[in-house]
Amino acid sequence: MGFSRGLLIHSVRRRVLWLALAGILISPNLMQAQSGQTVTVDQATMQALLKRIDQLEARVQQLEAAQHPAAPAPASVEARQQQSAESPTHGPSQAAGQEHEPEPTEHAEAERMDVSKTLLRIRGFGDVNLHGDNYHPAGQPGDKTAFTLGQLNLFVTSDISDKFKFLSEIVFEAGPDNIYGVTRGTENTFGVDVERYLLTYSQNEYFNLSAGRYHTAIGYYNTAFHHSTWLQTTTGRPLLFAFEDQGGILPIHNVGVEAYGSIPSGSLGLHYVAEVGNGRESRSPITDEPVQNIVDDSNGKAINFELFARPTKVPGLQFGFSMYRDKLVPETLPIGVRETILSAHVVYSTPNFEWLNEALVVRHTPEGGHTYETPGWYSQISKRFGAYRPYFRYQYINASPNEPIFPDIALRAGPSAGLRYDASESVALKLQYDFTSLRNQHSVQGLEAQVGFTF
Amino acid sequence: MIRYPAIIVVLLTTAALVEPMPQSLVQAARLKESLAIIVNRENPIENLSMAELRTVFLGERSHWANGRRITLVMMEPGQPERDTLVRDVCRMSESDLRRRYLQGLLTGEVLVSPKTLASPVGVRKFVFNVPGAIGYLRPEDVDDSVKIIRIDGHLPNDAEYPLKITE
Repeated sequence: MGFSRGLLIHSVRRRVLWLALAGILISPNLMQAQSGQTVTVDQATMQALLKRIDQLEARVQQLEAAQHPAAPAPASVEARQQQSAESPTHGPSQAAGQEHEPEPTEHAEAERMDVSKTLLRIRGFGDVNLHGDNYHPAGQPGDKTAFTLGQLNLFVTSDISDKFKFLSEIVFEAGPDNIYGVTRGTENTFGVDVERYLLTYSQNEYFNLSAGRYHTAIGYYNTAFHHSTWLQTTTGRPLLFAFEDQGGILPIHNVGVEAYGSIPSGSLGLHYVAEVGNGRESRSPITDEPVQNIVDDSNGKAINFELFARPTKVPGLQFGFSMYRDKLVPETLPIGVRETILSAHVVYSTPNFEWLNEALVVRHTPEGGHTYETPGWYSQISKRFGAYRPYFRYQYINASPNEPIFPDIALRAGPSAGLRYDASESVALKLQYDFTSLRNQHSVQGLEAQVGFTF
Repeated sequence: MIRYPAIIVVLLTTAALVEPMPQSLVQAARLKESLAIIVNRENPIENLSMAELRTVFLGERSHWANGRRITLVMMEPGQPERDTLVRDVCRMSESDLRRRYLQGLLTGEVLVSPKTLASPVGVRKFVFNVPGAIGYLRPEDVDDSVKIIRIDGHLPNDAEYPLKITE
């Protein structure tokens, strides 16, 4: 192939050479045209043209500056800092004569202390669904097809200072909570959850410290999508990463401190996350809030460590593992239960292609007793074709019937297939079919349509 | 019969007489089509690889080596300079990049969303005033108030410079 291409190039070159020779023969004035005098004229013309281009560009810049005068009053401190950064009083035109330019951060700090202006930036996410399935547990009424309001998420951030920032997810959510199979609340009421509430100090690339309520760094999904269905390809999270109040098995949220950053590792792109928090409420069954926001049921703290890599040579690839440890003290048991969650993930995610793979095992060991292991995994793949993105996911969780902490989980496994259509840059329509096998029950088939959006 | 030797003589003479384009003009032409990456003069960074530049403009890197927080400065969507950066550095579409920034803010990886400015003058002034800022301009829009950094070891007037503006 390369040889043929070389021959072709060689042949083309020869033909060009012969054409040039023919041109010379046909045009007797060419020698004169190639004379030094003509080249001098060309240089002068070229320089004149370049000069003219410079003049025109200078004129365009003047017109642009006239067309874009001072920006409207910014709504955030960042914008105010940036507006002041653009201000002609600090502009390069004065720089030449000034040895000591005023430090812009001092000006920004003063702007931040201006109580007449807000420091908040708010972004919203929401979704509305139509869902139906054939789930019909024995002795209970089955699910009805219904329109369902999803989470209304107000994502609030504030650039407090150069080193500190704040972020929060305030979620308005309809429907009852379902914690360890126990339903709490009424069907159609709205509740408000502060799902994340985090103050972060950023020292440098390698060390950031956050305090507050965060999403535990177990695996990939939990810290990649948070409470936005619009960002997710599918209509919902994998069963493994379902929220606590929707029957999920993991400590999705935690209250405590976390440190994170990158590790000097060249093109391997290593990162770490280390967390210490209250852990998850462990009474079983419970009807209280599973996230221990105010009080902890033990003095021992949950710890979590995650290590992952993002090789710079393969953009979009991430792989890593995590280990979570806590001691649970369920009221239904006279003894404590050691909890260990080991997870691993390999993810390849680009704008056009996504392949997510995660597996974990939750180990519960009552003191002096038998260890119960609950394995779970999912694999999700999708590819974008213009505004359409078909996807497929298979997921699996298998808990022992005697599992002391997960009495309601048992077996849940099956595929999901769907199609996402991005109707605009901020609105996505999704249609998803789910098939879930259950232990000792009929399998469940469900169909869900969703419109997810950001605003 | 003597025609072909005459042609050869003509060709050799022509080749000797034709003056190649001066190097300064070649560089000027390259400058016209290059996209310069600029930082504040206080920033000690002199060179970034394309891979590093990508991590910077995707928000995957938050601080410079001197501890300063990185602040991205972008020109408005639709301008050739921005189109070049989004396509050749970020390697994605404009809407994908916006989505990426939003997700980065949600995950906390992106500390501050990029600042968008309308004019090259605004970009230059911003980078001049904010120590951790990084932006991009056509070389003719750059003056001594900011610093052009090398990309993969090359400056905009080098033939191997990887960022070329496509109008």
